[in-house]
Amino acid sequence: MLTNYILIPFIAALAAYILNKSNKKAGAVVTALVSGYLLLSLAALYGRWDLKESFNFNLLGYQLEFLLAINPLSWLFAVMTAAISLLIALFSIQSQSDFKFSAAFNLNFLLIIGSIIGIVFARDFLTLFIFWELMTWTSFYLISAGKKKMAGKAAYRYLILSAGAAYAFLMASIYIFQQTGSFAFDSAAEFLLANSPAQSILLLAAVSLPFIVKAGIFPLHIWVKDAHGNAPKEFSPFLSGMMLKVGIYGLLVVFYQLSFFQIIENTVAYRGLPLLSYLFALLGAVTIITGTILAIRQEDMKKLIAYSSISQMGYIIIGIAIATPLGFSGSMLHLMNHLVFKSTIFLALAAVIYRTGTTKMYEMGGLIFKMPLTFAAYLTAIIALAGIPPTNGFISKWVIYQALIEEGFLFLALAAFFGSIASFMYVFKPLSTVFLGQLKPQHQDIKEVPLLMKIPMLVLIGIIVLFGVFPGIQMNIISQISGYLGIETVNYSLYSIQGAFGAWNSLYIFNIFSAGFVIALLIFGFAKKSKLVGLLDTYSSGEYVTDAESYHYAYQYYRPFDRVFDNLAAKSLTGFYETLTNNLVRTGEGLRRTLASGKLQNYALYSVLLFVILAAVGWII
Amino acid sequence: MIDIIYRTGHFLLITVFAMALGLLFMGIARKIIARIQKRYGPPVYQPYLDVLKLFGKDAITHGFIFDFGAIMALGGVIATLFFIPLGSWQLYSMEGTVLLVIYLLAVASLGMAMGTVGSGNPQASLGISRALTQMLGYELPYLVILFALIFRYQTSSIWGLMQAQAGNYLNWNLFAYPLMALVAFVVLIGMMGKKPFDAMIAPSEIGSGPVVESGGKYLGMLLLQKSITIIIELALYVNLFLGGAENILIFTLKMLIVWVLATMFGSLFPRFRIEDGVKFFWKWPLGIAILQALYIII
Repeated sequence: MLTNYILIPFIAALAAYILNKSNKKAGAVVTALVSGYLLLSLAALYGRWDLKESFNFNLLGYQLEFLLAINPLSWLFAVMTAAISLLIALFSIQSQSDFKFSAAFNLNFLLIIGSIIGIVFARDFLTLFIFWELMTWTSFYLISAGKKKMAGKAAYRYLILSAGAAYAFLMASIYIFQQTGSFAFDSAAEFLLANSPAQSILLLAAVSLPFIVKAGIFPLHIWVKDAHGNAPKEFSPFLSGMMLKVGIYGLLVVFYQLSFFQIIENTVAYRGLPLLSYLFALLGAVTIITGTILAIRQEDMKKLIAYSSISQMGYIIIGIAIATPLGFSGSMLHLMNHLVFKSTIFLALAAVIYRTGTTKMYEMGGLIFKMPLTFAAYLTAIIALAGIPPTNGFISKWVIYQALIEEGFLFLALAAFFGSIASFMYVFKPLSTVFLGQLKPQHQDIKEVPLLMKIPMLVLIGIIVLFGVFPGIQMNIISQISGYLGIETVNYSLYSIQGAFGAWNSLYIFNIFSAGFVIALLIFGFAKKSKLVGLLDTYSSGEYVTDAESYHYAYQYYRPFDRVFDNLAAKSLTGFYETLTNNLVRTGEGLRRTLASGKLQNYALYSVLLFVILAAVGWII
Repeated sequence: MIDIIYRTGHFLLITVFAMALGLLFMGIARKIIARIQKRYGPPVYQPYLDVLKLFGKDAITHGFIFDFGAIMALGGVIATLFFIPLGSWQLYSMEGTVLLVIYLLAVASLGMAMGTVGSGNPQASLGISRALTQMLGYELPYLVILFALIFRYQTSSIWGLMQAQAGNYLNWNLFAYPLMALVAFVVLIGMMGKKPFDAMIAPSEIGSGPVVESGGKYLGMLLLQKSITIIIELALYVNLFLGGAENILIFTLKMLIVWVLATMFGSLFPRFRIEDGVKFFWKWPLGIAILQALYIII
């Protein structure tokens, strides 16, 4: 039963690959159909949390068990995956001609969908690892399929980090297997609880490394910007909206199902929170701040939004790390909302790239009159991202603030406030430079994107507003997840959430908002009608302006602000890692030159030394 | 039905009151600044004449986003106003309003920013870029103060925070936490875009920045928006630090005192460069606010 959800995308992947050879659009249609089917059938699984499956293999004398099971948490992630892939596949039907290898794109996309569903259903390390690696490798291919030259390098960096982390994961899980004789999470949790805390924490740190890389948490976030910025435009929404969250899923598994939180419960605490959790939350805070500052500096709109994803992940991390009922609900809300608004943003940008063929913000401008729906999608999504009421983004941030104030975590709250106020700055930059301002002469003939691209954007706008007014829909599944993980649930109704210092009621807000707008609209409507003039017909201090291209303020939009952080940004972490690599290579080279220079005497000396050491060891033992 | 009519009337009454009061305050400020600069200055009712004149004039627009921006700016502040207790007047005593109000004000800023940048004038973009940068400067200390206040009184509704200071005037946060009140006062000057922190409008430099393209009813609406914003920000200060008030008259008087002080302080200082303004906010107000907050949470 559960295997079907994994097998169907895998079989469909082959079908899509073959069909794509005859018709370029067929592959995307297959992807859309399969993810639509997955969405519907997963929705039908809601509430059946007792489904389980297992397979036994006997490999070289080892009894290997593959376990699959469904719970509210994995259901949510599977549904999110299916839903977003449906929208992206719909969007990508029209733009298949932009791909060099569109057959391979659909093949890999379906493989990723299948492997994510495999990851969230997995109940043991081995299954998790297999699907995790499958996801990493297929997404590696997809990232490097981007048309840009940098895409290959970006994917390479992503692969190196993922592979390194995967080794750590494998070592730790094999160690646990040796001790317990099973890869299952349940027996691992028992073993880790019984084991010495220091060793358990070390093992779990190794296990969670791939998840931290995938979630883009500081200081392992360096792959995110290049990978998300250079990936194919249709894949970026998935990469940013969904794949980062799979890392969070893994962390939740480590924290709750492998009982990390239980292990550190009685260690040193700060304000009632174990110090390790607090440090993890601080990592989230640093992630918010770095992501934000770097986003403001970007001139490439996809990289800007990629950095914004990094900083938004920080909120989710903070909420999960402080582990209060409100914090957990807030970060789960933010996780879903981030998926919705971030994919909307990336789809809107993909529509812009589809029409203009560039990602540099200063090469565009004034697209609002040509692509109004794309603009509307972007605007709605950034209002949500900046956390402005009455959208879904405000609710989740509000819940996280309440959680932080309740516990008195000043510095975490400071980072959260910083990220949210500064997000106005970076989301406004593409709005102002791409959609508003002067239209470039070469973009005079641009049209709105075709209908199949409009539908996903319209659906996502609808979801943003829906979740903004009825957060209870999300809270319903979140409360089941909290119950499953053993966290207290937060009181909620369809349109209100009970915080620590008061309740949120979105119906009130929505009504008052409408009232305010109606009054403003009346004032506007009753005043004299105004005359429409062109965009070049503006106050220019007496300058005679004819050239729209040079009359557009776009390059280095926040230069004064960037100046404050110039020194900090020059010391980039990527640079640090590169220096580290270079030094490592140089040290190795130096060692090789002195130790293995080809002189026979040296080798003779080594043999003697080795013999002496071995003899000494043997004698001591 | 009666309830809806009553409520609508109440909405309109508060809107008109805030607009009128804000315009009056603006007139008073112009008079004060004139006197400080040894000029006679325009009459106090000059802003009313300005608004009436502007709505009577022909205006130009640069497309639908320009219109939408103006409506969103005014609509956003009117919506925000309904959440603020003005003396004993309070429409929505819903809890959780302090953070909500801060973010609701952003709706108006976003609307104004979008509309003016939509005009295609680079000076407007420049002004908005500065305004958003400065916003990051002053909002941080303000939010830290709110953090401390909410943590201290265990409520986040403005009404609740006001009630917590009831009784003796020594309970006012102005006297209980004078450093915090001082920081909030500096932040208030920055929020209202008064003199040391007015690089975003800088009339002689970037043609008044955000409002460079607005004329006629657009400028009129932005003036009304400005007047309501002033009332919201002053009312927040009075509610949070001066213990609110029993009735609207005393409340207005308190707002007026804060406004006159802010105007006088503002007109004494030359303009900050934008990044120096941000650095100033992050150095002194934020530093003091963090120390105060640490004192409260520990």
